[in-house]
Amino acid sequence: MSTKIPIGPFHIGLEEPIYFKIDLKGETVVNVDMINGFVHRGIEYLVMQKNFFQNLILTERVCALCSNNHPFTYVMAVEKIAGIEVSRRANYLRVVADEVKRVASHMFNLSMLAHLIGFHSLMTQTMEAREIMQDVKESIWGNRMDMSANTLSGVKYDLDEGQIEFILNKLDELEKQTDELIDIYFNNKLVKARTVNVGVLPKEDALRLGVTGPTARGSGVNNDVRVKAPYAAYDELKPTVMLEENGDVYSRMKVRWREVKESIRLIRKALNNLPEGPVVTQKRPHIPAGEAVTRTEAPRGELIYYLKTNGTQRPQRMRWRVPTYMNWEALRVMIPGNKLSDVAVIFNSIDPCISCTER
Amino acid sequence: MSGFLKIAIRNLLKGPTTDPYPFGDTFIPQKLRGKLKVDASECTACRTCEEVCPSGAIKITKNEGAYVHTTWYNTCCFCGNCEFFCPTGAIKLTTDFHTAHFQDEKYSFVTVAVIKETECKNCKTKFVPPSEALLKRAYNGIDIDLDELKLYCPECRKKIAFERLHLWLRH
Repeated sequence: MSTKIPIGPFHIGLEEPIYFKIDLKGETVVNVDMINGFVHRGIEYLVMQKNFFQNLILTERVCALCSNNHPFTYVMAVEKIAGIEVSRRANYLRVVADEVKRVASHMFNLSMLAHLIGFHSLMTQTMEAREIMQDVKESIWGNRMDMSANTLSGVKYDLDEGQIEFILNKLDELEKQTDELIDIYFNNKLVKARTVNVGVLPKEDALRLGVTGPTARGSGVNNDVRVKAPYAAYDELKPTVMLEENGDVYSRMKVRWREVKESIRLIRKALNNLPEGPVVTQKRPHIPAGEAVTRTEAPRGELIYYLKTNGTQRPQRMRWRVPTYMNWEALRVMIPGNKLSDVAVIFNSIDPCISCTER
Repeated sequence: MSGFLKIAIRNLLKGPTTDPYPFGDTFIPQKLRGKLKVDASECTACRTCEEVCPSGAIKITKNEGAYVHTTWYNTCCFCGNCEFFCPTGAIKLTTDFHTAHFQDEKYSFVTVAVIKETECKNCKTKFVPPSEALLKRAYNGIDIDLDELKLYCPECRKKIAFERLHLWLRH
């Protein structure tokens, strides 16, 4: 006999508003149906009402956790249309801001994993370690989430010797704590019992569904935009792609932790090799008519922006495809066959961002 | 569990990691983006901030003899766009993050800067003189000529500058 159970849209176990209709047989999920559209904010229309400078901030408000990647991809699109060259220093600083956000975003997701499997002390400890990154953001950019780092033709901030030293010291502090936490996450019995062989996404399905980011890399699909189509300073910094083969929640968690370590390495490398030069070349450039598509690697996966301008101060059309849009289809493969209590854990493992997806 | 036990004991010895705010000090970084400070003597009412403000929190209105620069904190998102794009550096974001207020103060919880107009030395029309920061940006050095010229309205300034050039060329 099968039972139907609704989870969401506003449910304590879920971090994001999405509605799952679940068919159960005993305690095992047989089929899952997803319904979304609860947090639509009309941002795509709103960006067409604002000028290019206002949109620097508006795109940042699309999503809190990848709030640097949205304006980053947006300014890349505008620069492509206007043919603006960005200085090497600005490119390096963009990478620093982006990787700081990636560390904070991944650690947030990982602490949510600890929360969902009921290991609350581990969650608070991960959040406590993440607080180091929050302090860095607040001290360098002035806000804990929305850094407002990018601007057309460069970045809004510059780093002096003292600030570089401050970030490097904080990174040392963070790395010590992450090593400790990684040991617990990778080897703890409780964590392993709830994550190993849970929510498996085989490699064939990952390729078929076109999943992106750590969700794809957990299944052994290498599609890191930073390596496949390098932008900003990534071709010089050469990030290493972290791949796992098993495709379960445990693998995706491992990918995220390794990426945290890799991001720390990238920030160090960028700060130690920071080139000289201006951070902004044209404060208020003219944007001609044109079209552009750009993509970056957000913490959740590939983020694509399409921008069309007509020579005025406002975009004619702007559209973006966010990583979660590709990743949540994979839930239809991941969830069936697992226990009902694992649904929230599996959902969290794709690092969902519904506020990006429904915008 | 042994891995976590080590952390737990260390945390126990370390005590609380949260700040005792508001009863004690808290971490306020120097670059924190808080409430605005507008320097009226630097501002030239060019409306750049009004244009780049994503939430429409800044309004510059024209009153009798003055321009009023108002920042309304109920829509301000503290993004710092105004500070970055301000051509004269008149707007600075302070570290003051105290924005809690009563519903009654909703419309009066603002930062106001009054940019006074001056009378033209020649034709007595009112205008906003260029601020020192703007002149410094536009010219290499501020000499006596510039100090004199900024007392005239744009129309008279054009005329006087041209007359001077004409005289200078004739000599």
